[in-house]
This record gives sequence, C-alpha cells and structure tokens, in this order.
Amino acid sequence: MQLRLLTLLSALVLALCYLVTARSAAPDWGNAGHPIHVIPMLSLQMGTSPGIGGALLAFFSHLADSSWSVGLHESRYAYDLIESVHVWTLCLFFGLAVMFDLRLLGWTMRTVPVSEVARRLLPWTVVGFVSMVTSGTLLFLAIPLRSYQNIFFRTKMVMLLLAGLNVWIFHSGVYRRVATWDAASVPPRAARVAGALSLALWVCIVLSGRMIAYNWFDCDRQPQRPIINFLTSCVPTQSEEH
Amino acid sequence: MSLLGFFQWCEQSGIGDAIRRSSWLFPVIEAIHLLGLGVIGGAVLVVDLRLLGLGLRRQSAAQLARDAQPWLVGSLLLMIITGSLLFLSEAMKCYYHEAFWFKMTSLFLAIVFTFTIQRKVIAAGEARLRPVWSKVVALVSVILWSGVGFGGRWIGFS
Repeated sequence: MQLRLLTLLSALVLALCYLVTARSAAPDWGNAGHPIHVIPMLSLQMGTSPGIGGALLAFFSHLADSSWSVGLHESRYAYDLIESVHVWTLCLFFGLAVMFDLRLLGWTMRTVPVSEVARRLLPWTVVGFVSMVTSGTLLFLAIPLRSYQNIFFRTKMVMLLLAGLNVWIFHSGVYRRVATWDAASVPPRAARVAGALSLALWVCIVLSGRMIAYNWFDCDRQPQRPIINFLTSCVPTQSEEH
Repeated sequence: MSLLGFFQWCEQSGIGDAIRRSSWLFPVIEAIHLLGLGVIGGAVLVVDLRLLGLGLRRQSAAQLARDAQPWLVGSLLLMIITGSLLFLSEAMKCYYHEAFWFKMTSLFLAIVFTFTIQRKVIAAGEARLRPVWSKVVALVSVILWSGVGFGGRWIGFS
C-alpha cells in the first residue's frame, strides 16, 4: 500500500516537472536575424520552444499584456492590498491548519476529539484556502510570466499538489476510522504521519511563497547554473551565456 | 540617548550590518518571521472563534486558551527575535515609516489586551459574563492582531 503510494507520488512529481519544464526542440542559436521577442527585464526566446512548456510561456506572456494584468501591476495600491489580504488569510488558513496538524500529532488540544476539531475548524481553513487561492491568483496575474519562471513559485505549486494529495490520503484513509481513535490524546501513527507531513509541506509552501519576491534565480540574471535554467525553463540568449 | 539616536545606533550595529551585507539573510529571517505570524494567527483564532461561538463549542474558552498558550507564546518569542533582527538591519527606514509605528502600537496593545483583559474575561467563564462581552473581547483581539499583521506587511511597501 505504502509502496504504491510512493510510486504514485513520484510519478506525479516527475510528470509535473516534465510539464513545467518541457522544451522539446533545442533553441536554434545560429539563426541570426530571427526576430526575438524580448520582454522588458526578461529575455526569452519565443516561438522556438514548442511543447507544453512553450505554449504555457506564450500563454503567460500573452496574459501579461492583458488589461487585467497591466491594471493590477500598475495600480498604486492594488498589489499591496491584495498581498496584505494574502498574508491575512495566511493566518486564517495556515494558522488553523497548523493547529489541526498539531492536534493530529497530539501536541495541543489533547482533550478535544479530533472529529470535533475537524468539524468546527476545518470549514474555516476552507474559507481561508479559497481566499488564498483567489488573492494568490490575482498576485500571479499581476506578474504572470516572471512568476511562472520563478523557481520558488514552481516549488510552491509542486508542494501545493503534494499537500493536497496528503489531505486526500488522510481523509480517505485513517480519518474514515476516526470513530475508533477520536478521543485518543495521541492519534494513531498514520494520522500522526499525515499531520507531520502536512505541517512540513505547509511550512515549506509559506517559505517558498515568501521567496518568490526575490530574483536570485530569475531568467534575466544570467549566467545561472544549467540546472537552474532547466528548472525555470529559461533559455538565455547567446550573449548572456558568458 | 534620544529615540532617533537609539535607532541610529541599531542601524549601525554589527548584526544589522551583517544582515544588510548578506543577500539571503534578510529574506530567510523574514520568511521565518512570516511562519511565526501564521502560528500566532492559529493560536489566537482558536480562542477567538470559540468566544465568538464560531469555532469549537464543547470545550471552555479557558481550556482552549490553556491549550493554545504555549504555541502563542512560543511563536510570539520567535517573532520578537526574528523581528528584532530585521529591525536592526533597517532601523532608520522603520523610524521614518508610519507602518512601523502603527505596527508597534498594535503589537503593544495586542499583547497587553491578550494577557490582561482577555485572560480575565476568559477566566471569569461564560456563566458570570454576558455573552456579548466574550464576543466584543474576541473581536478586539482579532482587530488588534490583524493590525500587527497588516502593519508589518506595509513596512515592506514603500
């Protein structure tokens, strides 16, 4: 059972890595005079990268030109306000999710039945999560291309998927038998593992989310290690390679 | 030493200088600071939602406050330590930033309120107080702690 889950998980991560980084054709360096679509602050070769990665790149650069994106980006207060909402709802979502995970680990509210915590507090985490996704999407819309190629953003998205998978495994697995361990001050091993995994994943998601703001690994800061350019699907122009 | 002098002294401290010179120290400390904020949010909300009648119901607010206390105090300490480090690296910016003073005022009020008035109200128990007071106390607590979070976020915006 656990082996199957592990295989499933690694397959998922691999597929995702492929989807976000796929560049089927090698860029054609020799084609001088070929029009290169240069986006301010970012230099990317457009049109030479077919495949899903290239299509996404084209889509997000198109999105960056939309009035929505420009409006969010250029407004004096929109971005700051949305980011503040994102941080506030982080307290609601992350804070209460942490409290639930800590209960699963038996580290707080040990006398409160787990199902009671789930029934009364998890709806709030759902509210928090929806608000976070909404505000997060708007933040992404404001700077779509740079975010899409940001290594921390990509890390965050992969870990979000893993966290979602963990929630699904927990609720379809050990939580179905919650009646048998509801009042236990320290829940069974499977529940503790789910709690610890969830805690670790959400902590990493918050950390990488905060790091999106920093440009150490951005495409316009060449030279980067090849592995970084691979993970961010950056294709540095020839002059930048040296 | 005047307040301005103190801020200048902080700005010139070795620790502040080291954080400023590193490209990754500030972001890492800041990210840990944010984690602390999230945990404080959870510990505060568990109690406040109970007082508002929107969270856990069967346990007394006093019991929940006792359960959440170590996490509240622990993350508050983490935030004060990381926050002081961040402050040392940009004390002069803070001195001239309204958001910093707003945040410090909110933080002072939030800590005082949580550990005095709110604690008294919770200890008094529901039986001896009109329910509306529990709700008012919870709302004030949420507003004060939100002020700390918003103020903190706005220090970063210029």
